[in-house]
Amino acid sequence: MSDIALSIPQARAARPRSAARVLRTVQTVSIFIIALVIVSPLLLLVVASLKDDRFQILADMGSFRAFWVSNPTLSNYAEVGHLSGELAFGRYLINSLIILATTVCSGLIVNSMAGFVLAWGSLRGRGVILSVVIALYVIPQESIIMPLVIMVSRAGISDTFAVQIVPWIASPLYIFLFYQFFTQLPKELLEAAEMDGASFFRAYRSIFLPLSLPALATVSILMGIETWNQYLWPILVTQTDYARPIAVAIATFFGQDSIYWDRAMAASVLMMIPILGLYLAFQRWFVSSFIGSAVKG
Amino acid sequence: MVMQQSTSSRPARMALRRDKGRLMQEAAMLAPAVILLTVFLIVPFLLSFWTAMTNQPLVPRPTPVRFIWFNNFIRIFKDDLFWTALWNVSRFTFWIIPAQCGLAFATALLLHQNLPFRNLLRGMFFLPAITSMVVVCVIWGTLFQYPTGPFNQILGFLSGGAIQPIDWLGDPEWAMFSLVLLSAWQAYGFQMIVYLAGLQGIPDELYDAAKIDGANALRRFWHVTMPGLRPTHVFVLVITTIQAFKLYTQVAILTQGGPKSSTETVVHYMVRAGFEEQKMGYASAVSVILFVIVLIIALIQRQLLRRFDV
Repeated sequence: MSDIALSIPQARAARPRSAARVLRTVQTVSIFIIALVIVSPLLLLVVASLKDDRFQILADMGSFRAFWVSNPTLSNYAEVGHLSGELAFGRYLINSLIILATTVCSGLIVNSMAGFVLAWGSLRGRGVILSVVIALYVIPQESIIMPLVIMVSRAGISDTFAVQIVPWIASPLYIFLFYQFFTQLPKELLEAAEMDGASFFRAYRSIFLPLSLPALATVSILMGIETWNQYLWPILVTQTDYARPIAVAIATFFGQDSIYWDRAMAASVLMMIPILGLYLAFQRWFVSSFIGSAVKG
Repeated sequence: MVMQQSTSSRPARMALRRDKGRLMQEAAMLAPAVILLTVFLIVPFLLSFWTAMTNQPLVPRPTPVRFIWFNNFIRIFKDDLFWTALWNVSRFTFWIIPAQCGLAFATALLLHQNLPFRNLLRGMFFLPAITSMVVVCVIWGTLFQYPTGPFNQILGFLSGGAIQPIDWLGDPEWAMFSLVLLSAWQAYGFQMIVYLAGLQGIPDELYDAAKIDGANALRRFWHVTMPGLRPTHVFVLVITTIQAFKLYTQVAILTQGGPKSSTETVVHYMVRAGFEEQKMGYASAVSVILFVIVLIIALIQRQLLRRFDV
């Protein structure tokens, strides 16, 4: 370790403009330190989840022992990972995964198709629909949730998976993002495809959709985070464990008088893993300029 | 287009058929989104205005639902708790804008440089944004512990014991401020991405030109970066404000509106009216008010953006 530390300044000194390089190193190191401070609560969460004694977790919180675990154990994970039982979160995790996968997949299809028609279709009233979609973006979810609860309970579909999926598949924001992305692609692609005898749908599916990977990735990440972290809607429409997502389960568990901190921490880490995986998988295409284009909308 | 080609020649007829087929395909591709948006967004939105003027309960009662015009709104405006809630979200907004947007802007400026491990750093800074608010509440619930939680220990250590432990979530003076800290930390990642996009949108030529003119880094920041980011600033301010007015999850999990109503918010007030007091009509009226607030903020954004000519 010390060898490496010593060799760096020597290597630097041998090159010209070493002052600028030192400055740069200092800068990089300080940014890493800031980043570590920012993620430290999450590190703390992971470390605490490896401690078996819930009283020890709180006792350690006041010192640097919060970031250290002497004999790590996965027993909390084993405990909360079960599929049934009082503290079992495996069930809720699977529920959430089902909801996540279904919502995002259908959302990608429905919103991209709509965006494509709005971008390149020749249907009459297209412009009107586009303006309505953009206008609908202003309505916050919280403003429609009360009538929606009445609607789904009247329809007798509360406490199901469908009620947590279907209402959030179509979204003005994602339709607009796809619309914008498709309009940036050359229209000649469509004309060429139709000249070759491909249908409108075929052109969308075989040419435009594969080209829209950045848009698909961005919408997957945004929609995934949104769906995964839903809290208000599921607490209003889930009454039993049948389709309850993990966010609601953790919150219920957290609200109890004697909090099992060790298990709560383990369940929280489990809840972070799938969405982190989704982010890492698509991060490469999570093109920031793409969100930037939404700024002007 | 179809009309112009309506001769009886064979290729034209084929073109007509193809056009018809194409229009059918377009309609079929647009239909799922249109139907879903209508059923789950437009209808409940319109219903909320009607429900807001009735005494609709949560569970159906034998007595019929009555239309009571603007009585719900009058009752809301007469309720001190509603005004407290509105005041609280305004206070929250006032604090979270500098905290969250400042953090987002600063990290975006740091990350915009050509650094090693850029993607790793970006991911680290973005990590809180993908963390569920429920998980955030579990973590920060322990950080805020009174009197021996980490924050109190750090404050005590830094001040040499001069600062007494703070009851972050239990003291009416501190509870809302604590929620500001937690919320800013959780959500700044998205604003950071928007700022990064804004920074990328500023052409390099402007910086080169400024350099040739002899402008130093600080001047380049003030005369190139800041004007170039004007629409981004407006966008970030507006989404932060709208999000702040919808404050709910943190309150529901950590403070339930307390202590002494110091963290009561508009959405929490709405959910309580609808589900604890079972008054759906009343709750819908609150949701209509929330919509009007969000609409006003969005209209202000449009005006500002138009002024900046983007």
